[in-house]
Amino acid sequence: MYHLSNNQVDFILDDIKKRGIQIESLQQNLLDHVCCMLENEMKPDDDFEKIYSITIQKFYKNELYEIEQETNYLLTFKNFYFMKKVLILSGIAAATSFVLGSIFKIMHWPGSLALYMMAMSVSSFLFLPLLFLIKNKELKNLQEKLVLASGIIVGMLYCTAVVGRIVQLEFAKNGILWLIYIGFAFFVFVPLYFFTGIRKPEMKINTIVVTLLFIIFISSQFLMVNLQPLLGGLWHINK
Amino acid sequence: MIFSSELIKGTLKTIVLKLLADNKKMYGYEITQKVKELTNSKIEITEGALYPTLHALEADGLVITELEYIGKRVRKHYKLTPTGKSKTKEKVSELVEFMNTMKIILDINLQTA
Repeated sequence: MYHLSNNQVDFILDDIKKRGIQIESLQQNLLDHVCCMLENEMKPDDDFEKIYSITIQKFYKNELYEIEQETNYLLTFKNFYFMKKVLILSGIAAATSFVLGSIFKIMHWPGSLALYMMAMSVSSFLFLPLLFLIKNKELKNLQEKLVLASGIIVGMLYCTAVVGRIVQLEFAKNGILWLIYIGFAFFVFVPLYFFTGIRKPEMKINTIVVTLLFIIFISSQFLMVNLQPLLGGLWHINK
Repeated sequence: MIFSSELIKGTLKTIVLKLLADNKKMYGYEITQKVKELTNSKIEITEGALYPTLHALEADGLVITELEYIGKRVRKHYKLTPTGKSKTKEKVSELVEFMNTMKIILDINLQTA
């Protein structure tokens, strides 16, 4: 059996680190594994560096740090099913609060404001971020990920703008947050959604219809914005 | 015939847990060699799949490590925890149940084909 020298062990460890393995425990695992393989397979007159470079290539498909990525992935998503359950529960909670809040408002019962607040806060800070984490994992294409991310941002901006209006936050009072939400949705999200979907033949009609619905929805929201406080100065000058 | 990595991926946790239950403690290289030996090289566990799985099992509290210093390197021996032992039984019986179910499905398909 071949016996590796300390210098050779150091060489392997350095190489493992250089190839992007940062978790110390994983470095130790891989170092011992490579050493075991080399000691069992090498002959005394073999060229160490040559055999090592052949051996290490057996560990991965493209790059060695794939192993670290997979480890992080498994560690991050070990609670994946729990996250999915929370996603569903938070979605139900937000929808129920919204419907109840509306009923309370129609009936002029107290508490509708609190229910609206709860619906928007749960959607914005629990449901949408979780949705992003879970869906992002399923998507492979960068452009689809961008559509998802911009959609989530639109959703969060919308909820924050609504909450801001309800509790009369200073930064939301004059409608600037509404305009940011509408601008982002119209100029970033809709074009990204449209140009990503239109390229897929099976999604073409679906994309056109949904894009039109988005434009109608966003335009109707824009019509509801009172521009006077924002353009007050300009208005005054024109008069 | 060597089984595809897709088939092995879903059963890797069970394989590792069962090996640890039968062998008290094992290190990574030993696990890959043992699997190769037991299956006549039909199943070859890759390092890229084994170590992430071992780290996940450790994070779940199913295995613990014992360190052995060999010169300048550290060898990590993996051992089952009490939770790991009961989880192994659960996983093995789940897999047996799954294999029996698969047998039923495939028999039906063979008859209808």
